[in-house]
Amino acid sequence: MGARDDEGHEVNRSMLAYALGMLARRRGKTIALTGGLALAVALVAAVLFLADALRGEAERARAAIPDVVVQRLVGGRPATLKVQDGKRLEGIPSVARVDARVWGYLFLPTLQGNVTVVGVREGSTALSTAPSGALSAGKDLARGAHEMVAGTTLARALGLRVGDGLQLPSATPSPLLTLAGTFDSSVELYAADVILCDEEDARAVLGLAADEATDLALTVKNPDEARVVSRTVLDRLPGTRVVEKELLGRVYALVYGRRAGLVLAASIPAILALLILAWDRASGLGPEERREIAILKATGWSTRDVLSVKMLEALLVGALGTAAGLFLAYGWVFVIGAPGLRPALVGWSVLYPEAPLTPMVDAAQLLAVALSVLAPFVALSIVPAWRAAGIDPMDAMRG
Amino acid sequence: MKSLARASLPAVAMLLSLPVAIVGIAAHASHARARRAAEQPAIEELAPRLPTSDLALSGGARWLRAPSLEEPGAAFADGPALPDPDPAGGAMAPPREVWARETTRATK
Repeated sequence: MGARDDEGHEVNRSMLAYALGMLARRRGKTIALTGGLALAVALVAAVLFLADALRGEAERARAAIPDVVVQRLVGGRPATLKVQDGKRLEGIPSVARVDARVWGYLFLPTLQGNVTVVGVREGSTALSTAPSGALSAGKDLARGAHEMVAGTTLARALGLRVGDGLQLPSATPSPLLTLAGTFDSSVELYAADVILCDEEDARAVLGLAADEATDLALTVKNPDEARVVSRTVLDRLPGTRVVEKELLGRVYALVYGRRAGLVLAASIPAILALLILAWDRASGLGPEERREIAILKATGWSTRDVLSVKMLEALLVGALGTAAGLFLAYGWVFVIGAPGLRPALVGWSVLYPEAPLTPMVDAAQLLAVALSVLAPFVALSIVPAWRAAGIDPMDAMRG
Repeated sequence: MKSLARASLPAVAMLLSLPVAIVGIAAHASHARARRAAEQPAIEELAPRLPTSDLALSGGARWLRAPSLEEPGAAFADGPALPDPDPAGGAMAPPREVWARETTRATK
């Protein structure tokens, strides 16, 4: 039994060595095949890695946002609500809290871009300094001191340092805001373009009256009742739009999934060209290879042996090409920041967060990508060898 | 026997490159996630102050900062001349009755 096992291992090793020798003899073809496969895998895997990482980042902060957000629509466009509208929702059973939020966008001509101005309500939890806090420099804003906390990217773009003052453009007179602190890189993806300031200062900058709010944030005692609460909100405030926290997850999946789909769709010609090249190289058995197979068969190799060697050849090229593609994709997205791909997938903006993305990929996903490439590749390579192995060796050697 | 083993060694290495890539990448990704998890308190500290958990990645339309709040009713999303946003731009349309029900609910 042991001797038979040893013999079997030896046969396998000799077949592997022979398959490698065949690949080495056709070096040009092997390199073209491996390179083409690696590039196709790298392109597809990089898009999947990037979309997954973006979804993961968006999900990371979802737990802390309100269960239900109520907005008012006028002519199909978002409009401000009255703060008193919140009072009409406070009596809804299972609504623990209603907050009238003040926030909005402000166009800064110097940047040619929008910033997000957020009013901080009295009683909000204070921000602390990194590593466990959200601030990298300075301190949280003091109430009534006309201070602000801004994203590092924004502060850098405006040339601001902690202690500097900034007069934001506004239709109504607004106070000069002093930069009290900047956000840490750990929250940069969420706050690169954000200015936090007192609610009163935010009202002045955004031009909101004292009785106006951008939207209402509802905290629900039992999150499972959010759908029921939404219906009650629509009954009490007709013409409003209600966004539930549960729906946000779906929006993220749609937004990044759609963009990933678009990028992949745009890449189809390139991927097809690479696959056609691979197919051509793999399926087109030349006269040399046909003669080689014929010689093997004439010297006593069975069709099964020939197919085994051909399958090993395809496996060697496929495994190496797929592995190289996965490494390329991972390095492209998470080491050098996906140049060329990131703008296509995540859009562009004047204040672009530079923070690196966190990979969400796991072994199961990697295995799925690898198998979806490797299985058809090996299958496609076997077919022509099977056909060649079936013909008479004498005919094949005569050409 | 030894020469055969030596000759097949590069081939074995090529075959093993794929499992090594999968395990290596998965391990590195897991390590990166653990590092990011250590920053979670900072995210949770700031997130309640922000209007949404949307990433600061504005699209072509510069007002579209928070797609989860704005995209459902946006006149156009992402940018002019881009394909319709979800769900019209999806590969499959949602069942019409579901869409009609949601519309009725929103305009009630």
